[in-house]
Amino acid sequence: MPPIHEHNNVAINMFDNVNPDEAWQPFEPEKDKPWDLRLASHLYRRAWFGGNPTQIQAAVKLGFAESVASILKPRRNENFEAEMNTAARMVTGGSDSRQLAAWWILRMLKTSNPLVEKMTFFWHGHFATGAEKVLNSRAMLRQNQLLRKHALGEYPPLVQSISQDVAMLVYLDSEENRKTRPNENYARELMELFCLGVGNYSEQDIKEVAKCFTGCEVKKGKYQFNEYQHDHGVKSFLNRSGKFRGDDAINIIMEQPAAGRFLAKKLIRFFVFDDLAISDRLAEPLAEHLRATDFNITKALNLIFSSKLFYSDAAIGKKIKSPLELSVGFLHFLGATTNITEVSRKLAAIGQLPLFPPNVKGWEGGKNWINASTILARANLTSGILANEKTKYDQGELSELFGIDSPLGAIDSAPWVNDYFFASPLTRESETQYLNWIKRTNAQPKEILAYLTALPEFQLN
Amino acid sequence: MTHRRQFLKSALAGTTAISLSGRMPKFLSGASKLASCGSENILVVIQMSGGNDGLNTVIPYGDDEYYKNRFTLSFNKNQVLKIDDHVGLHPALSGFDQLLQANQIAIIQGVGYEHPNRSHFESMDLWNTAHRTDQKSNYGWLGRTVENHFLKEDLAAIHLGKGLQPLALKTVTRPVPSIRSIDNFKLRSMKGDRNIEALTKAVETHRPSNNHLLDYIQNSAQIALSTSQRIEGLKTRPSNPTGYPATDLGTNLRVIADLIESDLPTRIYYVTLNGFDTHSNQAATHQNLLNDLGNSISAFMKQLELGKNADRVAIFSFSEFGRRVRENASRGTDHGTAAPVFVCGQKVNGGVIGTPPNLVDLDQGDLKYQIDYRRVYSDLLKNWLGVAPGEILDGQFESLDLFS
Repeated sequence: MPPIHEHNNVAINMFDNVNPDEAWQPFEPEKDKPWDLRLASHLYRRAWFGGNPTQIQAAVKLGFAESVASILKPRRNENFEAEMNTAARMVTGGSDSRQLAAWWILRMLKTSNPLVEKMTFFWHGHFATGAEKVLNSRAMLRQNQLLRKHALGEYPPLVQSISQDVAMLVYLDSEENRKTRPNENYARELMELFCLGVGNYSEQDIKEVAKCFTGCEVKKGKYQFNEYQHDHGVKSFLNRSGKFRGDDAINIIMEQPAAGRFLAKKLIRFFVFDDLAISDRLAEPLAEHLRATDFNITKALNLIFSSKLFYSDAAIGKKIKSPLELSVGFLHFLGATTNITEVSRKLAAIGQLPLFPPNVKGWEGGKNWINASTILARANLTSGILANEKTKYDQGELSELFGIDSPLGAIDSAPWVNDYFFASPLTRESETQYLNWIKRTNAQPKEILAYLTALPEFQLN
Repeated sequence: MTHRRQFLKSALAGTTAISLSGRMPKFLSGASKLASCGSENILVVIQMSGGNDGLNTVIPYGDDEYYKNRFTLSFNKNQVLKIDDHVGLHPALSGFDQLLQANQIAIIQGVGYEHPNRSHFESMDLWNTAHRTDQKSNYGWLGRTVENHFLKEDLAAIHLGKGLQPLALKTVTRPVPSIRSIDNFKLRSMKGDRNIEALTKAVETHRPSNNHLLDYIQNSAQIALSTSQRIEGLKTRPSNPTGYPATDLGTNLRVIADLIESDLPTRIYYVTLNGFDTHSNQAATHQNLLNDLGNSISAFMKQLELGKNADRVAIFSFSEFGRRVRENASRGTDHGTAAPVFVCGQKVNGGVIGTPPNLVDLDQGDLKYQIDYRRVYSDLLKNWLGVAPGEILDGQFESLDLFS
């Protein structure tokens, strides 16, 4: 098995026991490794914003295949949807979308469908649109609803809809596309960032695709197609010629072989591992699966969450928690609610306030989350949640949840930490240090959690 | 000098520092011997992200072609701040105009590279690594400078700002610290110093693991703790500078001026100014950005002049590309190619380098470059930071004589 990735001049064998040909074969708990608390925690951390000990224990009992099916299955909760819609109306109307961002964080925390929110967030990063430029919280909400509606569905209809989305068009300066001197921005980002990736189209293709989108306008806050500003002539790009419009251009772009590969790599980067190079060979089976299913996202996620690759050492503990995964995951784990506005302020400080991506490419993720400032601010965020008087726990007090007599297992034991809390287990040395520290200081659950969340291991997902 | 030496000794030995964990972590001992800096040159980089419209920054007002291509987005000869009979500065750049009068700014025309890439991300990666993106580099050009020449000092380079750390500072082993703001660069904790204790212990006992992401976080934590401790320990003399715009750039440059005056051994500071991607309604946005740029730099230079370090600071500002010669139908401009860059400082050979852009001999509607960006880098490395540019830039480039 050849080494695939060079890191620090040391060849890292990417899959340990999995090679690219085997990567997408179904994981078999009986043969590969047992479906246990650590693997179930891994699935919940990646597909949701983490699970709490009760959920993890239940998943182990339920079994592997059933747990994946259950994660992918949508749950109806009409009361919750109605409440969130009412709340959304209350926080939108003006130009400022910061309250809407807090609304979304609350939604991620309280939903019965965390995977839907996680994929909605994936699409938000993919079709990154910044509220500070759109300056219209209703348009941001409508885009958010659009992304959620398509989150686990098929990809091409989402591309078609987003190309007529007001917030998107405003963000990419495409409110006016006239046949004389068309604005190239949307055509460029459509191919570079949304569908194909650099190297799979030419500068001339961009100019021609831009002609297809002439006549697309935002007028009085609504999308419209203006026949008179549309270039009705023949456009030639990606080896096709015709009197194409924007929707035709999208269809042609989505038929390119690069389209499946591009999305496959992005899904792998988001769900499987951060830092290793993703070869075409590794991505191709997922890409082919996408093409064969009309880019059905639920089916693609099923392939990922059921694969040998996903449960290999190349994946487990090989992602860095995004700030949202860090904060929403921690609150969910505690069964806690807190001052979400405060949390969203701190999220902005460590680089990931929803609706405010850094640029049209979205959040880079991976190692970029960690630097001298954020490593301290991340520790301050979790200890701030614990210290905040507004933080309330569903089940009473923390000591009841995680205390010595807790039915979930005591917090002051290393297996507890490694099974539920950390994606990468503590070394023997850190474990001893940690347990000694608890004994020496007689630390209480709150302090123990502040200690644990400051550790480098907690930053991994 | 005595004052400075005493100050350094106490600040960096940790005696006046706000103690984080009650005792000096092991990895900080020895920090004071690195404090012998104070005479070496400092480079401040301002990255203008989004693609600055070079044609409306250094304006070829004497060229009719300029007006033919810029129907709504043009400035006439009475509006520009004239440099000579052909070119003038955007009216918002009075800060640059003053620097030009004082011979403290070099304006380098038509800077770019062969086979221009018009993707923001690809082009910025190229400027940031000094390598083409098909020859992926693990380093940023300044990260490589740090790792090849200044590795003994964790604070050799600092990124200041809210956003992502620019690729230019990327290292392979020891990450360069990014500091969002000095005020929140502190660990608060609930009771005692539990967080710090956890992190300090983790850093002290860590051995390389089989998870390189974990090792990376450990390294970053170590640098965070040492940097935090040293910056909290600094006694910046309260300065009350005037003239800075109330912007992120203004604030960041003011903080950098304070850090320079407090004798931090940092050789490279990096900040970003975002928002240059002006596809529609460019005029007002561009005006504000250039106003911010010019006024921030000029206030920064004025503050430095009040201290003792003005002659060892140079400021370099650049963007990933310029914009299309012909404006689009949205009163904006699309992605282009070559554009001017700026180097400011007391030791800079002021004036314009290169010729005004040729607006007729175009490549797909875009300017052809006249000066390879690596020639600018080469001067900054060799003649300002005093390091050999060859291995960083993968080649030798002719000097532009930027410094006296």
